[in-house]
Amino acid sequence: MENLEDLKMMAEQWSNQGIEYLQKIPQDQLYAAVGVLLFTTVLLLLSIRLVRRTKSNTVLLSGLSGSGKTVLFYQLRDGSSHQGTVTSMEPNEGTFVLHSENAKKGKVKPVHLVDVPGHSRLRPKLEEFLPQAAAIVFVVDALEFLPNCRAASEYLYDILTNANVVKKKIPVLLCCNKTDKLTAHTKEFIRKQMEKEIEKLRASRSAVSTADIANDYTIGIEGEVFSFSHCCNKVTVAEASGLNGETVQVQDFIREYIKP
Amino acid sequence: MLEQLLIFTRGGLILWTCKEIGNALKGSPIDTLIRSCLLEERSGEVSFNYGAYTLKWTFHNDLGLVFVAVYQKILQLLYVDDLLSIVKQSFSEMYDPKRMRYDDFDETFRQLRVEAEARAEEMKRTKQVAKPLNGVKKQGQVSKEETKKSNGEKKDDGDKVSVLSNGNHKMEDDVANGKENSADNNNNSVGVDVSKLAKLRSKGVRGRGGLRKADSLGSNKGSSKVVEPPKKATKKNRVWDDAAAAPKQEEEKLDFTDENGDNGHVDVVAAADQGESMMDKEEVFSSDSESEDDEPRSDEKPEAKKKGWFSSVFQSITGKANLERTDLEPALKALKERLMTKNVAEEIAEKLCESVEASLEGKKLASFTRISSTVQGAMEEALIRILTPRRSIDIMRDVHAAKEQRRPYVVVFVGVNGVGKSTNLAKVAYWLQQHKVSVMMAACDTFRSGAVEQLRTHARRLQIPIFEKGYEKDPAVVAKEAIQEATRNGSDVVLVDTAGRMQDNEPLMRALSKLINLNKPDLVLFVGEALVGNDAVDQLSKFNQKLSDLSTSGNTRLIDGILLTKFDTIDDKVGAALSMVYISGAPVMFVGCGQSYTDLKKLNVKAIVKTLLK
Repeated sequence: MENLEDLKMMAEQWSNQGIEYLQKIPQDQLYAAVGVLLFTTVLLLLSIRLVRRTKSNTVLLSGLSGSGKTVLFYQLRDGSSHQGTVTSMEPNEGTFVLHSENAKKGKVKPVHLVDVPGHSRLRPKLEEFLPQAAAIVFVVDALEFLPNCRAASEYLYDILTNANVVKKKIPVLLCCNKTDKLTAHTKEFIRKQMEKEIEKLRASRSAVSTADIANDYTIGIEGEVFSFSHCCNKVTVAEASGLNGETVQVQDFIREYIKP
Repeated sequence: MLEQLLIFTRGGLILWTCKEIGNALKGSPIDTLIRSCLLEERSGEVSFNYGAYTLKWTFHNDLGLVFVAVYQKILQLLYVDDLLSIVKQSFSEMYDPKRMRYDDFDETFRQLRVEAEARAEEMKRTKQVAKPLNGVKKQGQVSKEETKKSNGEKKDDGDKVSVLSNGNHKMEDDVANGKENSADNNNNSVGVDVSKLAKLRSKGVRGRGGLRKADSLGSNKGSSKVVEPPKKATKKNRVWDDAAAAPKQEEEKLDFTDENGDNGHVDVVAAADQGESMMDKEEVFSSDSESEDDEPRSDEKPEAKKKGWFSSVFQSITGKANLERTDLEPALKALKERLMTKNVAEEIAEKLCESVEASLEGKKLASFTRISSTVQGAMEEALIRILTPRRSIDIMRDVHAAKEQRRPYVVVFVGVNGVGKSTNLAKVAYWLQQHKVSVMMAACDTFRSGAVEQLRTHARRLQIPIFEKGYEKDPAVVAKEAIQEATRNGSDVVLVDTAGRMQDNEPLMRALSKLINLNKPDLVLFVGEALVGNDAVDQLSKFNQKLSDLSTSGNTRLIDGILLTKFDTIDDKVGAALSMVYISGAPVMFVGCGQSYTDLKKLNVKAIVKTLLK
């Protein structure tokens, strides 16, 4: 008991002394000292936040209009595409655990999935989401592939030469959708066609002067025919069927890069 | 009867369709509606036609839902608008972002539809009682009302009436704006009225009298147009004013082409190499942040200002209010004025504001934002969407594709008089040449004195071949032969120069569509000057209309791209680009910004939008 009282007395004494001391210092210096203290704490916190970069968990679903991105989005989220879709006018975003992994026990990190509209007038929307992307799924319509081959390859070329994608080496999955249909092309065929088209694009766009205002970087190795293995970021090919719910390969890809 | 009624989110997921009337729709009307109407910022329009269907829609901007009703075009269902609004109200009550199925809405919908149909029947009955009392209306007025209803249709009547109203609009605008080209506009609108009235006369509308009177009217105003009398079979010289017909001797004197070409004096001109074309240079523009000083200027009305400003500030802090039309109107009006001072055509600015209004109505205001900044943001997004090209404008890629098929890539330059077709053709040739593409010019302007020599000079300076046949030849045939020549000597690109022509000059437009039908070019490039005002709308829509009306084969070629010229003369009045892109849907492929070979660049969408909204 006495100890407590003694402690209390001592605490009181110290606080009195402290207050006297503070009152002795001229006001300006006090304010300056407090200001500097606050400033340095804020700086310290910011620098700690910057150094400790949180790994982004955003996956982008991109591709031409009509390739099946919105269907895929809802399959991954809910396991079904509900009553159908129409051309998207706005992006679909959601942070969730993939539907098939709902049953999994244990801590599963939710994925922030963004379905960016494919219509060419809404192309600038993709630019907004690219900086935060950890992985990109480029959806291609395997059924109506050849008529749209050029447009699809131009879009893919723009993504692969984007500054964000090149600097951060964001991995890209070329997903061939609608493979449940009979006349859908195989993923090997699609991969070869895309490589050929991108090679042609490379030739026509590199022929432009050194200040290439269309694309930030060029891809591929000089003198060799373009192949996806030349990209500094990893590009893989997979098959899927949005309507049937066969999205295993896409999910594996997502899980590979969004580690729990 | 209603074919289908859909409810879907703006992200694309269908929430509910009417299962009672489960008719499968032919084609894909909803996707076409989204692509060609809603994403083209035409959501302010009344309805949209697709094949045999008419579509009507409404938005719920707060929840991000779209309600679309599809019905047969031949039926005139009056209750659709009514039905859409009550469906919107009742659905938004039961909407939940987590729910995906709304089967219980079927019952509600059936009731609502029965009610709406009953109401429509009531109204029709009361209208029929009132109709005999109205008396005989003028036929012209009746046709005007009917055609105003079917707004999105491409029928001739609708266009004519809208052109008439456009003409009136223009005349009012010219008085208000006092622009430089108002005299021109006046002439054009008079010409439009006159020729259109002559056609409407056959429908029994009391016009301004016969063609004779129209002619005298035209000549009184000093108009430079005389529609060629259709009865003459032989080709008459184009007479440019109503003075007495030129004596016969003049005809021989007109053709000044020297057989030897420049008095046989072949000047070896050094190949023009003025460095890099501006197409390839990085665009550097100062990105100063938007000054907030502009905002107070937009609230113009002083009386309503105080109350409106205070309540808007209050609402901006709490941020809970739903945007109503009355709230949006002053901000939209100010924005429309601002756009018009930047030389955007009046009806384009109007349609854009309607579209933005449709997309913002009912939306919840975010906290700490004013109404004017929300409207500004929405308008900026809309402008970026319109100016972003719908298809890729990578010409080099197209040229390479054509090269693989072993045929030349043909570009035809069309436009009205004096916009800079020949100059910009030379600039495009210079740019292509810099990228190791072999170019050939075709001089199909066989009318204007000196046009062929002009192109010859350019060709000599750039050291590229030119195909010419002199003057007074049929341009379509000259173009055809030029393309054959290009295929023979392996040129990659053929640039075809045509004579300038006014959009209402029927025989000249017919000649142009003959040229395009015969030669099937890869790119029809409309050359328009950035100085043009409200006339841009008229030019482009008439050109497109004539090209589609007079096309022979099933594949109608319309204007594929726009080349904007004289961009350096306009400082910040860049609205012509917006008007042209909006009315035609074609992307701006090049911008001419000076008078030398290197002055050709690409359109920088963000810079233009920033300048328009400054």
